[in-house]
Amino acid sequence: MYYLRTALQYTVTLLVVLTANFLLPRLAPGNPINALLGSDVVENMTKDQIERIMEEFDLHLPLWQQYVHYLTSFIHGDLGNSIVLGMPVSQVLMQRLPWTLLLMGGALLFSTVVGSLLGAYSAWRRGRAADLATISGVLFVGSLPPFWLAMMLIILFSTTLQWLPSYGAYPIGTPSGSWAWYVGVAKRLVMPTLALGLVMAANVLLIARSATMMALDQDYVTFARAKGLSEQRIFFRHAFRNALLPLVTNVMMSIGSLVGGALVIETVFSYPGLGSLIVMAVNARDYNLLQGIFILVSLSVILANLAADLMYPLVDPRTAEGDPA
Amino acid sequence: MSERYVDTRRFLAPAETLTGKVQRVGMVILAVIMLSAICAPLLTSYAPRDSVCRPFATPTAAHLLGCNDAGQDLFSQLLYGARISLAVGLSVAVLSTLLATIIAVVAGFNGGLIDRLIMRLVDIILCLPFMPLVIVLGVFFGASIRTQVLVIAFVMWAPSVRELRAQILQIRSSAFVEASLAMGASGYFVGIRHLVPELAPLIVPQFVRIAHNAILVETSLSFLGLGDPLQNSWGSILFHANARTAFLTGAWVYWVMPPGLAVSLTVLSLALIGFGYDASLAPRIRRRLARPIERPAGAAPRPGAVLSVQKLHVSWDSEFGRHEVVHGVDLDLRRGELLGLVGESGSGKTTLSMAILRLLRPSASVTRGAIWLNGEDLLRASDATMRRLRGRRIALIPQSAMNALNPVLTIGAQLGEALDQGGRRPPEAREAAIVENLLSVGLEARHALSFPHELSGGMRQRAVIAIALCNRPEVVIADEPTTGLDVLVQEDIMALLLDLRRRLDLSILFVTHNLPLIARHADRLAVMCGGTIVEEGAPDALRRAPRHTHTRALFESLPALVGDRRWQAHADTSGPAEAPLIELRNVSKTFRRRSLGAADAGEHQALNDVSLTLAPGEKLGLVGGSGAGKSTIARLCMGVLPPDEGTVFCQGKDIASLGMRRRQIMSEAIHLVFQDPYQSLRNGMSVRDIVAEPLRIRGERDPAVIHAKVRAALAAAKLPHDGAFISRLPIALSGGQRQRVAFARAVVVRPKLIIADEPTSMLDQSVRMEIMDLMESLARENATAFLLITHDIALARHFCDRLAVLRQGRIVEEGLADTIVQTPQNAYTRALIAAA
Repeated sequence: MYYLRTALQYTVTLLVVLTANFLLPRLAPGNPINALLGSDVVENMTKDQIERIMEEFDLHLPLWQQYVHYLTSFIHGDLGNSIVLGMPVSQVLMQRLPWTLLLMGGALLFSTVVGSLLGAYSAWRRGRAADLATISGVLFVGSLPPFWLAMMLIILFSTTLQWLPSYGAYPIGTPSGSWAWYVGVAKRLVMPTLALGLVMAANVLLIARSATMMALDQDYVTFARAKGLSEQRIFFRHAFRNALLPLVTNVMMSIGSLVGGALVIETVFSYPGLGSLIVMAVNARDYNLLQGIFILVSLSVILANLAADLMYPLVDPRTAEGDPA
Repeated sequence: MSERYVDTRRFLAPAETLTGKVQRVGMVILAVIMLSAICAPLLTSYAPRDSVCRPFATPTAAHLLGCNDAGQDLFSQLLYGARISLAVGLSVAVLSTLLATIIAVVAGFNGGLIDRLIMRLVDIILCLPFMPLVIVLGVFFGASIRTQVLVIAFVMWAPSVRELRAQILQIRSSAFVEASLAMGASGYFVGIRHLVPELAPLIVPQFVRIAHNAILVETSLSFLGLGDPLQNSWGSILFHANARTAFLTGAWVYWVMPPGLAVSLTVLSLALIGFGYDASLAPRIRRRLARPIERPAGAAPRPGAVLSVQKLHVSWDSEFGRHEVVHGVDLDLRRGELLGLVGESGSGKTTLSMAILRLLRPSASVTRGAIWLNGEDLLRASDATMRRLRGRRIALIPQSAMNALNPVLTIGAQLGEALDQGGRRPPEAREAAIVENLLSVGLEARHALSFPHELSGGMRQRAVIAIALCNRPEVVIADEPTTGLDVLVQEDIMALLLDLRRRLDLSILFVTHNLPLIARHADRLAVMCGGTIVEEGAPDALRRAPRHTHTRALFESLPALVGDRRWQAHADTSGPAEAPLIELRNVSKTFRRRSLGAADAGEHQALNDVSLTLAPGEKLGLVGGSGAGKSTIARLCMGVLPPDEGTVFCQGKDIASLGMRRRQIMSEAIHLVFQDPYQSLRNGMSVRDIVAEPLRIRGERDPAVIHAKVRAALAAAKLPHDGAFISRLPIALSGGQRQRVAFARAVVVRPKLIIADEPTSMLDQSVRMEIMDLMESLARENATAFLLITHDIALARHFCDRLAVLRQGRIVEEGLADTIVQTPQNAYTRALIAAA
């Protein structure tokens, strides 16, 4: 029942995203072809050219037929052609996606591990100096715009200390797959991951801290103490484990905002992921590409949320039968 | 039952607290930034977009932050940039908060299908990648600052809807709204009088959060070069700096640093203001350094006492200072004894018992005294020693078994880890020991694999007892082990404890506020009041010859099943039947539990073919355990619920014929007084407004009339009615006073019937009788009929003319109060009487 409902809900979500993506250029002010190609381009085209393009984009068909076409080609993985790059959008995305995934994966791993451990520690030492210092740090780091933090990191590690390269994702001129290549990739991953991960770690930390604190305040922790269990055992088996439950969903839910952060961070480092691609698509008015990126990103976020929802009953026996809320 | 009230619904925390100080620092920072944005033309003489100096000029006195690649003054750009960031942040916050509030109110107040649709939509929006969506929307709808604000506002409302809706649902289901509806208020009345004032402070933190995020999003967009190209914001300064790779040269100091710091500072100021609203940040009470506990002179273990508490003082620390709650308590628990520690809420009994186990919350600490467990000095024992003693020599049976069990571990796992403390066993022996312990408390072997939520309340309490006693401790501290359980289940648990005590040779310190229960079984009672033990002795001796006034008050407030009635019956029920005030004829009511799919998850038949009449001026008692259907009858009589089958007559009229105005018409004659006066009176209203509410619902607007009637009602409820009292808020009233105010609110419109739903069960023993005395005087003086709903058959017998005993939706016995108590016919009635 729970799984069925979850699956149904995400199907609906996906449909809404697809529909929004379909409708947006058609709802935008003016002729959809203006939105698709930019009005300055359209002004310089002949009637014939316009009609040909209308046909290419199915714009001569009634709306519902356009919609059906759109859905079927999506199912076949056909997202149209990129105008700037002159190749299928799906192919462009597949080239760029791994880098963004690498960056996000790194940031996610960093922020979850650092955030939850520090958060739990902070909760354990609540009200003491270590806790107050952590909270002040979180408030400060959480207020930094991630891309600005990235620029500051470059100033520190690239300009001043000259430890890390500030540009791209992999060393150019080194054969890919070689040892030196991997070292180059790792070096170029450090700063973007930190810039993206630190701000997110601040959020994770707060969630972990309050969840652990709430768990530590529960009567079952007092009862566990009354049983004579050691503090370590109480902390890990009773408090931290229960605190992880809200953390799992919260981390998965925050992937949506993590994507946004990644897009901006990539621009600072000229990282060859989806972020720099989206900026390029906007500046070149390449709408097929833009919509393709949007669909891909939405799809991944939806899948991440779905994964979180499906995982939840495994960690919390109460959800399996009833309403998780 | 606590008398303390923590006001969480205020705009700012008090200035003397740390939270309040932090919030004020945030407001000062924000004010300074806003002021410099507004006064930008006064602070700089250059326009942000004019070329006024050499490109890439370094800072000089004329150009404090130097110039960018186009020769524009960076200091001027910074000041004017603040305007854009703040304008975007604040207008997004206004729009988004407004949108979220409207949607949340629509969802929360309508409920049903609309609510579910809206919440699914919110789920979907929460699932969308936020930044790409803003970018895509911005591309298709243009990059002007106005569309930017609209777009950001459009994607930001969803999380707030979730939050606000939850709050609205909480307000909507609160007892004061239920009370208002029961008084006949319309939805509009409730919205204006209760919902808006309660919700307003909750909107502020949403506003702050959205402004915080909106500023970051705007900066990011401008940084990507996707902002309004005609506007100059902090993000666009950084965009140009990045495009010129200013951070690779020395220019970063004055080109990259200042706008970044400005954004951070603005966002930080909002975060600081939001600090007070975010529970996850709330500073906890600071721990003091552990100080050695002063041992009183002459403290030594006493022979014969397994547990000896000597001159114990416990204090609580808060942001407002230190407060002593236990003042020098002496208490001995003898070997094999069952010692009852009784007292009202706030008397310090639970604090005392947790102090013995050294399990006080961090803000409380023992300041003086000594505790001996068979010669072991507990207050001087190391933490490791204390851990070894807990569970093995001194065990705790805690309050409320639901919360004492970890919801994600099986009963077997939680019992097993306790067993392990008594020594490692080979796996088979361990399994056998788990089963044996479960059997000893009346559970079955299969329950080892159950999760706590799969067991009933009574079974969970048994599991907790099994865990507490599995290592055969000498001393058990049972802290309200039966509270919250059904009357008859309480008896079962008590019987189990008595049996285990005999079998395992336990000495038990039984902490409870349930005097009748413990007085029947304890060897000795210690009465606690105001942090000290005022009297000790055998229950019978204390009952017969109490030396302390508090002990006397406690025992006198216990209604007895034998002896004279405390209040005389006065409706002559044997005479010719008057037209009944209320009549239920063959009424049935079934509730369907919905799960989120539309399918029925199960049915619960609350009432099954119930017939009942209530004559004018009569006092009828409705007695039964939890889930018997008592409250459903109250709601049927109020017209809040329609019956599934059968008919409800109010003053001879079928309520089904009254139509939509049913509730309003019935509330003219009937008033409901709720169980919990802490919930049913709204904390933000003065006594005068609370009592005047039924008058206002009936459309009375003349202040003089309202004032006169309120004062008369307060006088009838034996409350002061001077100006100082009527302008007080409920926070400043005791539990007993609150319930009196609730009765004043009832009598202000002179109803023919008052339904009192467990009116004393949330109050301390000593004030219960005062409330019953008040009900009696109201019944006598105004000839008001009463329907008393209670689980306490002894109390009902003293107050009521007639009783109806209800069990699982059926009336099992009905008749004159004394007749039923003296010669009960039904087994369930007999069980209730035995438990009273």
